Amino acid sequence: MAEIPVTQDEIMAVFPKVAETMADALGCDVEDIKPDVSLIEGLDAESIDFLDMVFRLERAFKIKIPRGKIIENARGDLTEAEFEQNGIVTERGLAYLREYLSEVPAERFKTPMKVADIPRLFTPTTFCKLVVRAQKEAPAA
Amino acid sequence: MIPSGLAGRSVLVTGGSRGIGRAIVELFAEEGANVTFFYKGNAEAAQDVVAKLRDAGRDAHAAQVDVTDAATCHTAVEALAARTERIDVLVNNAGVIRDNPLAALGDDDIKTVLDTNIGGVFNVTRAVVPYMVMQRAGTIINLSSVAGDKGGRGQTNYAASKGAVNAFTRALAVELAPRKIRVNAVAPGVIDTEMSQDVREMAGDAAKARILLKRFGTVQDVAYAVWFLASDYANYVTGQVFHVDGGFKLE
Repeated sequence: MAEIPVTQDEIMAVFPKVAETMADALGCDVEDIKPDVSLIEGLDAESIDFLDMVFRLERAFKIKIPRGKIIENARGDLTEAEFEQNGIVTERGLAYLREYLSEVPAERFKTPMKVADIPRLFTPTTFCKLVVRAQKEAPAA
Repeated sequence: MIPSGLAGRSVLVTGGSRGIGRAIVELFAEEGANVTFFYKGNAEAAQDVVAKLRDAGRDAHAAQVDVTDAATCHTAVEALAARTERIDVLVNNAGVIRDNPLAALGDDDIKTVLDTNIGGVFNVTRAVVPYMVMQRAGTIINLSSVAGDKGGRGQTNYAASKGAVNAFTRALAVELAPRKIRVNAVAPGVIDTEMSQDVREMAGDAAKARILLKRFGTVQDVAYAVWFLASDYANYVTGQVFHVDGGFKLE
């Protein structure tokens, strides 16, 4: 499944509302939500916060984000075996991930990278892209 | 004494038209909670509960929901949240019993009991949790059973489903603790209800001999325990399976 391309303009169009929603979920100031801050490293997000963000974004934008979709999208066309071996992201997987998470600064991609650590890369921009893609896949009625 | 905190809260009870569920619905409604309950098929019993509570000036709503149907649960929970704007308390009470020795259990006896008693807990809780997470508040009480810990002849299906409820309760308590959502279970012993009639008739005296307090429980005995766990009095209680069984002894 090829990813639907998302432009910078599209990201910036949804960013203010995404930032506001994320600030509500994380209980922080909206000013702290910078487009490229790592949600886990920079804003202390926990796994339950990610779920909360997804719930809130679904309501705020009237979209559906299937559970598990974020990691699944991050894998793209690759099979699980092509993407990871024993919980470590493969070279191919890493190449795809860098492309999919193009907004994440290169130095944040550690090697070897554990699959469990992928969420550490996620930024508000990652979620903006998720929202834009969900809007394109199922435009609001 | 501080108030229980239940007045005005939005409470959802599954299996609320009869037995223990009905007693829970009535107790919470009397406390001034805004109670919604799901019932599977007995519309007459459900309407009776609602009518009696409304006559008494209480707030209660009923919705026909088969908890084994995930999509229906999701839709019904969304409708509830749209109406009440929040969900403060979830009581997973809906349950069925199909006792028989293991070798005599039909496929449907196993499937129905597991799908309802633990599958239903998954279906309803999964739909409710997002609201509690967003609220950063809420409490969930699952109805377990003495059978979940202590077994019971002819109850492999039922005991397995209730053992699963206990494990579910503890795991979800861990998962939701960061959002201050409490998850507990109440494990009734032999309670005087329509559902346990066969058990009481078949093993009544033997069962009673194992109960320290020498009587079967009432639906109110169970409802009070649920009420306590849902109230602010239990604010420091999570991940527990609270036995309400008159002191049921191990064989």
